[in-house]
Amino acid sequence: MANADKILIIDDEVQIRRLLEITLSANGYKISEAATGKEGLMLAASIQPVLIILDLGLPDSDGIEILIKLRGWYNKPIIVLSVRNSEEDIVKALDNGANDYLTKPFRTGELLARIRVAIRQDENLLSKPILEFGSLTIDISNHIARKDNEIIKLTSTEFSLLALLAKNEGRVLTHQFILKEVWGINYVEQTQYLRVFIAQLRKKIEEDPSKPKLLITESGIGYRFGD
Amino acid sequence: MYTKGSKVNSLITRKSTSLFKSNIRQYIIVLAIVIVSSLICYSIKDVIGYRSVSFALLFLVSILAIFFGTGPILLAATLCAIIWDFFFIPPHFALHIENPEDVLMLVMFFTIALLNGVLTSRIISQEKEARIREERTHALYQLTKDLSINSGYDEVTKVVVANVSKFFRLDIAIILKNDQNQLNNWIQPHSSLKLTEEDIKVANWAFEHSEKTGKYTDSNTVNSYTYYPLLGISANMGMMIVKHNSDPKETEEQFWEAFLSQISGKYEREFLLDVTKKIYLLSESEKLYKTLFNSISHELRIPVTTIMGASDTLINQNYPDEIRKKLYSEINIATIRLNRLIENLLNMSRLESGRITPHPDWYDVHDIVNSAIESLNQELQPFKLYVTIQPDIPLVHLDFGLTEQILHNLLLNATQYSPIGSDIRLEIFFNNGFLKIQVMDSGKGFPESELHFVFEKFYRGKDSKAGGTGLGLSIVKGFVEAQKGKIIAENLLDGGAKFIIDLPTEILDMNSYRKTDD
Repeated sequence: MANADKILIIDDEVQIRRLLEITLSANGYKISEAATGKEGLMLAASIQPVLIILDLGLPDSDGIEILIKLRGWYNKPIIVLSVRNSEEDIVKALDNGANDYLTKPFRTGELLARIRVAIRQDENLLSKPILEFGSLTIDISNHIARKDNEIIKLTSTEFSLLALLAKNEGRVLTHQFILKEVWGINYVEQTQYLRVFIAQLRKKIEEDPSKPKLLITESGIGYRFGD
Repeated sequence: MYTKGSKVNSLITRKSTSLFKSNIRQYIIVLAIVIVSSLICYSIKDVIGYRSVSFALLFLVSILAIFFGTGPILLAATLCAIIWDFFFIPPHFALHIENPEDVLMLVMFFTIALLNGVLTSRIISQEKEARIREERTHALYQLTKDLSINSGYDEVTKVVVANVSKFFRLDIAIILKNDQNQLNNWIQPHSSLKLTEEDIKVANWAFEHSEKTGKYTDSNTVNSYTYYPLLGISANMGMMIVKHNSDPKETEEQFWEAFLSQISGKYEREFLLDVTKKIYLLSESEKLYKTLFNSISHELRIPVTTIMGASDTLINQNYPDEIRKKLYSEINIATIRLNRLIENLLNMSRLESGRITPHPDWYDVHDIVNSAIESLNQELQPFKLYVTIQPDIPLVHLDFGLTEQILHNLLLNATQYSPIGSDIRLEIFFNNGFLKIQVMDSGKGFPESELHFVFEKFYRGKDSKAGGTGLGLSIVKGFVEAQKGKIIAENLLDGGAKFIIDLPTEILDMNSYRKTDD
């Protein structure tokens, strides 16, 4: 890491900021800290971090508002770190542009993994036409998926779903988002379609469909393509 | 039932109109009958003789006495005497009587007609009164019986409205008082009368003064309803607002008041029962608070002490890596314990405050199970977990978070009570409208006598390991019930506890959706 990746932490709790500073610095990141939303917005503009860690319970404004303001111009990953753990809050943050969501208390190992995924994914955004995940390869432009070099028979809906998740590897996609992207705006409430197709896909691509490693369920929120 | 009621009602009504207040119509009817009968007698007087006519008229008066009140009978008797004298006794068309025998006859005729008529009328009225009394006793008995087998304000009101309608044919509305001894500003459900804001104001006035008011009373007489206070033994329980279709009869008043006092008494008992219940709940929550405080303060201190001690040692002493690692691991375990406690407390407080609203959606049972198992990865490591999910299980319509937490807590519970290395089994299938979840462990099970306490807050089995608050299972029960499900605990024959959950759910067969794919 020649040019250390800059990460901005927006959180009002000193202890959390300190913990993150120690942990992330030790892992080679360069840290900037902001204790308020206003300060956070200013710093984000001036230092242009590769990733922002945002707390939702800020003293001066609601974190979701800061998230929306940031998303007005900032297109790099934002990971939300919050004590709010209801499905509603999580979905709201993700739908408003957060790349990932971790609830406090969190494991630092988990956070580091999510940061790595988010940054890597961001760099891969102008993505390769062929994605590889172990024995699974997905040829986006030719609509072909292979497992152990053998073509997997997928319907076009199955392929769209798989491609969408794979392109967003490591990122939680909400039910609504997936339904809108794959089935269309009129289907955002039809979660049953999603369940059926995810179950089918798992049977076709997972080593053990009962213990999925690729198509990971995020409790009541959505799905994430694992690595 | 209903026809009987209407019979009683018609009886009550007839009594008041025919026996005591003989109205003008009855006089006219009696007059007409007497005149017609006299005309008939006049046409046949030559055949039967004028003396026989007197018997015929006497007979007529007796018959009339059965159907009419004292007044009309008095009229009939007098009229018959005059008619007989004037038209039948010679000389005809004159009140003058020639024969002294006929004078005697006339006097006797008049006296007998009078006595006979009045006595008959009195006997009949007494008999009718007795019947009415009996019917009223029956009505009161019916009311008391209905009231005694029902409880809860709504049910009681339903019974009251039904009985008043049955025995009085009246529409009523009931407004009860609240805890602050003020009249509620809403009408009890099941009331058969609709009130305006204005009516409720009048009811409030009457409630404050504890007196009846409105139509047919001494105050507020322009109002279209009558307002009766429901006076219990110790307090005024509320108001009954009645729409009388006619002036209430004085003779009915006692009966009505007996009815009212039964009703007031019942509402008072309901009120007192409510108060007792509230006091009980208050003392229960006090007890709960104390238990909570004791249990939680212990549960909080232990991990905090561990963290404090271990971190202190790590900062101040230079120990070899091996020992440092052990201390780090202790800190880690303590935080997991703390975190679990906080989660349990938050869930418990959500349950207690009734803020749990399930958000059901379509889910794959496998996903719910996987999430729960994933979250207990470390805890389940030392055990052999056998998961059996019905093949081709349909999609279920449940709250993901709540159901996952149910599984999480039950599996965690199993790990806490089973010997290391033993079996934990999870079985899930759909049966007859319910998702059936069964969790079985290899612990010692519950003592039979404690089986129905296991879901109580702070219940902890005798062999519980240190740690844990006794909240996990009561949260499970709360989350199951929030989704309208049922849970029971059993002991397995070969030892071990078994939890059986039934969650009602709609289902969707996944196969039916596959066909829709292109």
